[in-house]
Amino acid sequence: MTDEGTERADAPADATDDGTVVGAAERELFDWQSLKESELFVVAATTLFVAVFPWLFADAPVISGFFNGYRDLATLMLIWGIFAMGFNLLLGYTGLLSFGHAAFWGGAAYAAGIFSHTVSSSPILIIVAGTLFAAVLAWVLGFISLRRGGIYFSILTLAFGQMAYYLALSPLSQYTNGENGYTSVEIGQLLGTFYLRYPVPGLEWLLGTWKYVLVGTVTVLSVAAAYRILHSPYGMVFRAIRQNEQRAEFVGLNVWRYKLMAFIISGSFAGIAGSLFTIHGAYVPLQSLYWTTSGEVVIMAVLGGVGSLFGPIVGAGVYLYVENIISGVQKLTVPFTGPAEWLTLVQEPVVLLEGFGAYWHLILGLVFVLVIALFPRGIWGLFEDLGASLRRLSGGDR
Amino acid sequence: MSLVSEVATVLINGLQQGAIYVLVAIGLSIILGTLKFVNFAHGALYLVGTYAGLFITLNVQLTGGKLMDWGYSELGLGWGFLPALVLVPIIVFVVGVLMERFVARPFYDRPDTDQILLTFGLAIVVQELFKILFGGQSYNFARPAWASGPVSLPLIGSFPQWRLYVLGITAALVIGVYLLIEYTDFGLVVRAGTRDAEMVQLLGIKITRPYLMVFGVGAALAGVAGVVGGPLYAVNPNIGTEVLVPAFLVVVIGGVGSITGAVLGGILIGETLAILVAVAPQWSQVGIYVLAAVVLLVRPQGLLGVEEVTP
Repeated sequence: MTDEGTERADAPADATDDGTVVGAAERELFDWQSLKESELFVVAATTLFVAVFPWLFADAPVISGFFNGYRDLATLMLIWGIFAMGFNLLLGYTGLLSFGHAAFWGGAAYAAGIFSHTVSSSPILIIVAGTLFAAVLAWVLGFISLRRGGIYFSILTLAFGQMAYYLALSPLSQYTNGENGYTSVEIGQLLGTFYLRYPVPGLEWLLGTWKYVLVGTVTVLSVAAAYRILHSPYGMVFRAIRQNEQRAEFVGLNVWRYKLMAFIISGSFAGIAGSLFTIHGAYVPLQSLYWTTSGEVVIMAVLGGVGSLFGPIVGAGVYLYVENIISGVQKLTVPFTGPAEWLTLVQEPVVLLEGFGAYWHLILGLVFVLVIALFPRGIWGLFEDLGASLRRLSGGDR
Repeated sequence: MSLVSEVATVLINGLQQGAIYVLVAIGLSIILGTLKFVNFAHGALYLVGTYAGLFITLNVQLTGGKLMDWGYSELGLGWGFLPALVLVPIIVFVVGVLMERFVARPFYDRPDTDQILLTFGLAIVVQELFKILFGGQSYNFARPAWASGPVSLPLIGSFPQWRLYVLGITAALVIGVYLLIEYTDFGLVVRAGTRDAEMVQLLGIKITRPYLMVFGVGAALAGVAGVVGGPLYAVNPNIGTEVLVPAFLVVVIGGVGSITGAVLGGILIGETLAILVAVAPQWSQVGIYVLAAVVLLVRPQGLLGVEEVTP
């Protein structure tokens, strides 16, 4: 409490609270802060996390029992994490809200699937093909949608995303197999030697299969690429556009071109994720192009927290967890009641809500609305605030 | 069937399909134009209209009384459709007013993206609520007894009567709204607000009440679209979001804030759909997006939209 007082006291009177706290924290924690923000640290931490994540999530003692997770879900979380991170490069850093990212995710998934069947089944080439397709598609759709700014951009991306869906549904059904989804995906060996469904020798307990190694590696590379882009002068322009588009224009920047580039970059990340999705499931559902997919990635990014690199990845994990695990919970009980818990306080479970699983979408929707209204920085923002107040309480690091 | 009658049938079908979009789009357009508020939950208002209409139609029995004595049961009053047609706009108007007051108003000063996200979240919540309350299945919404049969038209031949009623109701409402906006003091404020809301406030006009009214009227129109469209399309919880995207296209094609633009956009989209269904059914859904893309490339502000006022 007293710390907070002093921090505010020595700040200029006209500074906002937010700016003051961050400024003070930066001065005090200079070493830790600069380490935390160095590229090497970010990449190393991501690698470490990606390496232990499936084990922690699915097989570690105690923790995994609590999570109730399975390894395939961990893989899926990383894939959607890349998608959400790429989406947020656009929303969080240039302030453009796209409702058409399903076109890049699903489009890349189809391109990857068709490429695998007709050209080459090498996983790396599949990813390259899907991503390139998404980038070109993003260029075209961005060119049309960015003709009008602000709200119209959202509406137009939504519309042209739907156009991709209907294209795949019927006029192009001889290539996409219409509403049945694309089924003839072929996945070959990674680098010509490793079968994706085979376990990693010696490290199976930690990493599982080669498929996870591929997805995990691409995740780390994607995070590194996103970090590099955001901390380059180019990324700074994105932020400038979000802050004040008019001012950026007056400085002499061609705002439209930067916006289009941000859209293409974001679409390419969606393409990477979409291609991985095809490799993961060896199947492309038509639903992947429908606008609810765009909606899902919007929810993930916002729940996790826009404007931070890792928030959307966390959001993707939480969303998929709720969708796959929580939705299976039929009775919501008070923790530590009932016989199956590892710590049992009462034998009879205390039921809070019957048929809980059916309500998961509604509850997620309500949480989403609350997050927008009250915590625009999402889960990641809450983490950050929590960390900041903990440091302040302990008075450490100074 | 001669070629002429086939063409006429296609055209009137397109007109009728466009009518539903026009009803939804006018509300979207005037709310967007006047309040500068993007309502992704507008489809949810259509949804509320459809289900409220279905509920009233099934449950309100106006049996007995003078009307029955006068023989009006044959007109379908026993089926409750007319009460639905009257009550649903009132119900959805109230929903719209509440939405303006408690959802939209606190967000006028927030960024556009926050408004879109909020209403998008709200649309999900409404949709899920309806799923929980009424189940995910499709319901059969019967046409009113007095308009269930076919009617014989010159050139076209036999045509479903209800579709003609839809056209008539839409035309009447559109003319009503047009008169309201163009020839009343309320409309004057709304039009001025579309051009420059700040200036209106500086002139000493309290803008709160007109804003409430605009939102309410826009919502009520979406509600009417839900009732009259109910018997023509599927009734299920996803219908709201399905109608939202074409309605947005209508707004974009026609130009934001313009009622005649919404009518023109709606007719264009309806006709495009109908003609493509007749000629190249595979491309019917894609066609409306191509139309929107072409319009945007040529005239980014929409066919009848005005260039935005720069301060």
